Amino acid sequence: MQDLVFYFIAGCACVFAVLAVTQRSIFHCALWLAMTLLSVAGVYFYLEAPFLGAIQILVYVGGIITLFVFAIKLTAHIEDKSIRQLNTQWLPAALISLLLFYILIQAFASHPWKNIIPNAPVTSLQVIGRSLMTGYALPFEFMSVILLGALVGAIVIGKVKK
Amino acid sequence: MMNIAHYVPLSPLLAFVINIIFGRKLKSASAAVAIAASIGSLILSVKVYQGLSFGYGSYHLGQWLTINGKALNFGIIVDPLTVMMLLIVSFIGTLILIYSTGYMHGDIRYSRYFAYISLFMSSMLGLVLSDNFVMLLICWEGVGLCSYLLISFWHERPAAVAAGIKAFVTTRIGDTGLLIGMLILFFTCGTFYFCDLATVKGPEPLMTLAAILIFTGAMGKSAQFPLHVWLPDAMEGPTAVSALIHAATMVAAGVYLVARCFPLFVAHPIALETVAVIGAISALMAASIAVVTNDIKRVMAYSTISQLGLMMLALGVGGLSAGTFHLMTHAFFKALLFLCAGSVIHAVGTQDIQKMGGLFSTLKITSSTFIVGTLALAGIFPFAGFWSKDEILITAWNNHHPIFFGVVLLTSFLTAFYMGRLIFLVLFGKSRSDLHPHESPASMTVPLIVLSLFACFVGFIGSPLKEAGRMEAGVETYWIMLASSVVSISAIFLAYFVYLRGFLPVSIRSRFKGLHDLLSHKYYIDEFYDFIFVKPCALLCRMAYSFDFHVIDGLVNLVADLAQSVSGVLRKFQTGFAQNYLLVQALGLVVIIIWLLKI
Amino acid sequence: MTPLGYFTLMSAFLFCTGIYGVLTRRNLIGILISIELILNAANINLVAFNKYLGSSDGMGQVLALFVVAIAAAASVVGLVLIIAIYRNAKSVFVEDFNLMKE
Repeated sequence: MQDLVFYFIAGCACVFAVLAVTQRSIFHCALWLAMTLLSVAGVYFYLEAPFLGAIQILVYVGGIITLFVFAIKLTAHIEDKSIRQLNTQWLPAALISLLLFYILIQAFASHPWKNIIPNAPVTSLQVIGRSLMTGYALPFEFMSVILLGALVGAIVIGKVKK
Repeated sequence: MMNIAHYVPLSPLLAFVINIIFGRKLKSASAAVAIAASIGSLILSVKVYQGLSFGYGSYHLGQWLTINGKALNFGIIVDPLTVMMLLIVSFIGTLILIYSTGYMHGDIRYSRYFAYISLFMSSMLGLVLSDNFVMLLICWEGVGLCSYLLISFWHERPAAVAAGIKAFVTTRIGDTGLLIGMLILFFTCGTFYFCDLATVKGPEPLMTLAAILIFTGAMGKSAQFPLHVWLPDAMEGPTAVSALIHAATMVAAGVYLVARCFPLFVAHPIALETVAVIGAISALMAASIAVVTNDIKRVMAYSTISQLGLMMLALGVGGLSAGTFHLMTHAFFKALLFLCAGSVIHAVGTQDIQKMGGLFSTLKITSSTFIVGTLALAGIFPFAGFWSKDEILITAWNNHHPIFFGVVLLTSFLTAFYMGRLIFLVLFGKSRSDLHPHESPASMTVPLIVLSLFACFVGFIGSPLKEAGRMEAGVETYWIMLASSVVSISAIFLAYFVYLRGFLPVSIRSRFKGLHDLLSHKYYIDEFYDFIFVKPCALLCRMAYSFDFHVIDGLVNLVADLAQSVSGVLRKFQTGFAQNYLLVQALGLVVIIIWLLKI
Repeated sequence: MTPLGYFTLMSAFLFCTGIYGVLTRRNLIGILISIELILNAANINLVAFNKYLGSSDGMGQVLALFVVAIAAAASVVGLVLIIAIYRNAKSVFVEDFNLMKE
């Protein structure tokens, strides 16, 4: 029963992802991406990582997708459906992607992972919080600096020069 | 007082440095700098002259090089010959500089001109002061360089540039001879010093060859046949430069060199004979060309070649004193004549004597001094040229060279004739074109007057190198004076009748058409050189060029084309399209995974 | 419980789909969308391995958090760049930007 839930969520994520990269309208693509991200959030919940699932929904669907929509609306006419959205190398790209996928499957299949079932205790929110403030304090601080840099950079680049 | 001599060339050298560096700022003051320096070296030269009575010789300022274990010093020689040259160069140089302030007035490279003239004088003064071949050669080349710079001074004119190159290349042929000659001398006798020349012994005929090669250098510098071709073309330079080249600096260097090496030539009769023969050929040839030349400056140029030929002839028949005496007198009257010619050209704006005429009434000062110069050159008693030419004639006669004696007489006849032709066509008769001549400014006429005084009286001084027993010989040779006077005066009268009175009109020209053509084409020497040297050289150059262009460049281009065509294929990969690169990256990723997992 | 292999399979699919999108989309925003897919594929793996193999400090989830933050920063800067480029060149198509070649 649990497996069926996972299959459903994973199937949705895969279908939405394909739609997100193949739709003509870029706006639709953004929406399908949002759906994909929601499905991934579902996977996180399924994996008993509710905090990460919440973050996924908040940051991705709430923040990044909104930004995408803004950007799409600001670069107005590209939404036009008559404009070709795929470039000339789509066929080799598709072949390479498929080949990559095949290789990855082969790689996973040659390893006993497929049979592993969880034996570790569920990671609680307290553990994550403690890790961030102790063992991962330095990367955490770096991350804040990166976010600040991105913020400042975005303002500087986006500013209209007089 | 003797050891101040080395300051003489340094003074103009300083003027050169100042003018070449600060010329733009100094503007017209650069002339004052040059003249002051020149007067400075004149004063120093006079001091050196005064010191001559305390004895003479050479001194050195320190060691320069050691070659094959032999020291080469910065040696300065001071003797009557040097002092004579010092006085001539600095005196005439000063007058020409003063004259130039008027002649070059308003030229855009005014200060540059004075810088070059100063360097020219400095080189020449250094040349006559050197006591060894090496220093002489350096100054010698300095003189050559300055002549090139000054002849092509108006380098906007292609003819001037061509003339400068021609002068440089032609004299360079002679310079090479000089270099080889002096090296032969060094490697056989081990000396570069002039004072050793009287005593050197070496294997024959190598020594004769060395002497002749040294004379080749003199031939190039003094424009002797067959290296005379540059001098007439050198008239493209400013006239004041021509005066300096012809009178004081450049061409005198060759005669000076032969005089300086005179002991060497005396010791080798064949070399001496060569000098005399070349001098005789140059004298006669140039004088005959001058008779038909219509360009006033070219007449002067051929006259210079002819007179230098006489000097060489005098040296060649053993007359060191006669040759140098003529060098001195010639310096004065030739400078005078050139400056007069410059003044005339300045006044009428043309160089063609067929277009001039009747200038005496308007150009009083210029014309008077011109006539003085002409009489001096023609050798009319009592002007300067008479005395020196007389001395040459006497030397030739006393040393039993009747052929050369005849050559000198014939040359003086021709000289008097073409100079007569010149003044009768230019100064007298009717004006043949509607020119409006005007007298030149004082800065130009004052040097003319000074020089004409010298042209009158310098002959009485006598040769600076008087030989013992000269006076006794003079007693029996009054007939020679008489003969030369008769020849010269009759030639002037002939010119008077032919050109002013119009006797012997056009018919004579048509009767001797072949001869006239031969003369007016300068014996076809330029054409001959063109055919023998220039054309084959040009052909060779064209062949070398086409080889270079087609083979060398072809190879280089082939390599370049090959690289370009190969890279033309390779650059297709550089599409400039980011996603192509990403595609290849993804392919690489796949390959790496395959390789790592060994699937 | 579902075996680990299914999560890796799903993540590989999302990853390859993202790669395909990056290689083929003409639109710069489309490329950014595809990049988000790739990052999510990585995140799925991190969380799944954390769950299945376990770790005392929750390393996988912490790293996934970092990845989310990085992704947010990257897409912000990327989108602003796209807008700046669009303002200058009036285009968001990749093949229009080959200044280095010309």
